[in-house]
Amino acid sequence: MALLDSPAPAGSGARLMAVLNNATVRSVVYQALTLACVVLLFWYLISNTIENMSQRGMSAGFDFLGVSAGFGIGFTLIPYREGDTYLRVFMVGIANTMLVAVVAIVLSTVLGLIVGLARLSNNWVIRNVARWYIEVLRNTPLLLQIIAWYFGVFTLLPRPRDSIGWVDSIFLNNRGLYLPAPVIADGFGTVLAAAVLGLAGAFAWARFARKERENSGRIRPVVLPVLALLVLPPLLATLLAGAPVSWDMPQLRGFNFVGGLNIPPSFCALIIALSIYTSCFIGENVRSGVQSVSRGQTEAARALGVPPGRTMRSIILPQALRVIIPPLISQYLNVTKNSSLAIAIGFPDLVSVWMNTSLNQSGRAIPIVAMTMGFYCLVSLAVSLAMNRYNRSILIRER
Amino acid sequence: MDEVLSRDSAAVEQLPAEIFKPKPARAAPPSTLGVQGWVRQNMFSSIPNALVTVLGIWIVYAFFDTILTWAVGNAVWEAENRRQCLDLVGRSGACWPGVIAWIPNLIYGLYPKDQVWRINLAGVILLLWALPLWLPRVQSKVQIGLSLVLLFPLLASYLFLGGEKGVIWSALIALGLAGFLWTLLTAATETISGLSFGRYAVAAIGFGGDNDPARRNGQIAALLALYVVALIAVQAMSLSFVATRAWGGLFLTLVISGIGIAFSLPAGIVLALGRRSRMPLISMLSTTFIELFRSVPLITILFTFNTMLPLFLPVGVEVNQLLRAIVAVCLFSSAYMAEVIRGGLQAIPRGQYEAASAMGLGFWQSTGLVIMPQALKIMIPTIVGNFIGLFKDTTLVSIVGLFDLLSMSRAVGEDTRWLGLFLEPFFFITMIYFVVCFTMSQYSLNLEQRLSAGERR
Repeated sequence: MALLDSPAPAGSGARLMAVLNNATVRSVVYQALTLACVVLLFWYLISNTIENMSQRGMSAGFDFLGVSAGFGIGFTLIPYREGDTYLRVFMVGIANTMLVAVVAIVLSTVLGLIVGLARLSNNWVIRNVARWYIEVLRNTPLLLQIIAWYFGVFTLLPRPRDSIGWVDSIFLNNRGLYLPAPVIADGFGTVLAAAVLGLAGAFAWARFARKERENSGRIRPVVLPVLALLVLPPLLATLLAGAPVSWDMPQLRGFNFVGGLNIPPSFCALIIALSIYTSCFIGENVRSGVQSVSRGQTEAARALGVPPGRTMRSIILPQALRVIIPPLISQYLNVTKNSSLAIAIGFPDLVSVWMNTSLNQSGRAIPIVAMTMGFYCLVSLAVSLAMNRYNRSILIRER
Repeated sequence: MDEVLSRDSAAVEQLPAEIFKPKPARAAPPSTLGVQGWVRQNMFSSIPNALVTVLGIWIVYAFFDTILTWAVGNAVWEAENRRQCLDLVGRSGACWPGVIAWIPNLIYGLYPKDQVWRINLAGVILLLWALPLWLPRVQSKVQIGLSLVLLFPLLASYLFLGGEKGVIWSALIALGLAGFLWTLLTAATETISGLSFGRYAVAAIGFGGDNDPARRNGQIAALLALYVVALIAVQAMSLSFVATRAWGGLFLTLVISGIGIAFSLPAGIVLALGRRSRMPLISMLSTTFIELFRSVPLITILFTFNTMLPLFLPVGVEVNQLLRAIVAVCLFSSAYMAEVIRGGLQAIPRGQYEAASAMGLGFWQSTGLVIMPQALKIMIPTIVGNFIGLFKDTTLVSIVGLFDLLSMSRAVGEDTRWLGLFLEPFFFITMIYFVVCFTMSQYSLNLEQRLSAGERR
């Protein structure tokens, strides 16, 4: 265009200007310049890094993964012994991070749902309690909350000798929380099978009830039968098989507890702080989701004589979920990322065990940083793929 | 009349059916007016509701009772050390003398006590610089805001750091000072006469003649004169050097988050435009940067920069820890800001772009004059939310060994005199964080309402 529009060529200067004003030419020039800058920057960084590393005698290979790490880890979900390889340390870190993330996600969803619904309550007192809970907790840093729970609560608990106990089986002291640990005996397989059967039955019943409602409009009870199917079969199997699970109770021996399941204070502090902090954001998501459903929907349901509970379950929530779920998933991703703050209170998650301890021990900065970043990138990539699928599936289909 | 009545009664008597008797009137519904009505409707409308209200009031009471008994009722306000506090009230009351003794450290870190006035001075300058933004008669608010963000850091860098200043740094500091003087003078002249400082100076002195170019030259001369004054003043200043290792407390937290905020907005705009660009290479590079930094936790970026930045730079170049942390925070927050701004850009209808093109505006003009102002306006709450997040996230620098507000508050409990004093300093800094973040969020709500006034009917 620019070439055609230019009036009688007055010489090479004007022609050059015309070429420079051409959109395609400009785009190519800009991109070439950007590429050149980026390549130069990387070349500069990489050449510096190579020189620095050769001066300090560092190496960038992944061969250290097979070497024994030689340090202990305080809390491991998967078996780990001092002397296992660095690769094992990486796995332990990932497992611990995932454990924190899953537990915190479950707790924060439950709490967030309660807070969000309380925020919508007709009751002025409850509404405001929920509002200030949210305002105070989400306006203070998460790290401060984690550290305050750890140093301000869990390390100030009494010594094991004077622990706080409930019914002689659960104990809380400055070494953490002690719970009875289940010990699996013969016949546990029957219980497990019964539980699986019950779960399948519950799914089948819920599906049947929904189909029936959609086809004939008849409403069958769902909640009670499903609960019964979930609870009764394993219970019956337990009774029939004769106590296939025994409990290993924590007991005070000398200065400390033995037996049972010990949950370290750092884990408790991390989970409590993460769940409470995240529940504020989830609560706000729930509130905005429910409020996004137009009031006309509630009024129409009322006019048709649908009772309030059913209105919420069958009319408001399905529509609100479209709005709630995408930000909810990104909150879950945030929980996973925020679990890395565990390092501040010494809980051995991926960042603490891998990016801190292993990096300092082995000095292999580049592979370790790359592996850590790679793990988090992979998680967020997987989550965003799942979210895109979900968003496509809930897209409102119009003609 | 009588006749009619008698005939009616006769007719009634003829019918065997029973006489219509109205049901007794229903009681009036409970009043929804006044205090009593409001309380009934919002707190005691049904029995479950009343139970929940009682539960809520009990929670509130128990919470405030516990907090106030601890923080005020049983608190100790004067003691030599923690032992005395514990002897007086044990753990049932707060031990405030420890926090009070540490307040200077909590605010200024280990900054030399006789140099603290420099931080205070920078704070006063910041307030004075921002003040004209709220003065109704001041017109050059955009210029003042820009100068605040771009030039204040130059002036503050010298106030905070001090020491030997080379030629280039002197010129930059003078630019900062000139910006400050210009803001004050413009605020004054615009309040008096409605003219900015440059125009006022031209009008007052009377040189420059009538035509526009001459007047413009006059204005430039006035600004240059201002710069020369600032340069002379800067040459006269001489402050002692304070290493960044001594920086700490609330001061450090504000420095890091301030730089992060000032950097992340323009960088976020550039990245967002890059991601939406039609040039595949630029869009790909921006997307990679944004997604990479958004998918990993800030702490890993801080660690990475802590270990990698010395490797990335030429042999022998030392980077202090503060700078490493600031680089990490800036890159991290600009990636988040980019996504916010991209959201704003996506919300602008296509018609706006097309109308701008139809008016003959090029890319930069249409972006700068038409699209970006609208995008930023609708995104104000989210942008401020990001700033709040950044302010809270600066606590993470305590993990890589900087003495921000959080580390300082932990140091109280490690002081031999106040050994084990954790809850009180945490309580104190929680209040600081809450007040700052809550004020910011309320202000953004307020701003949003004022800016959207045109869309309400």
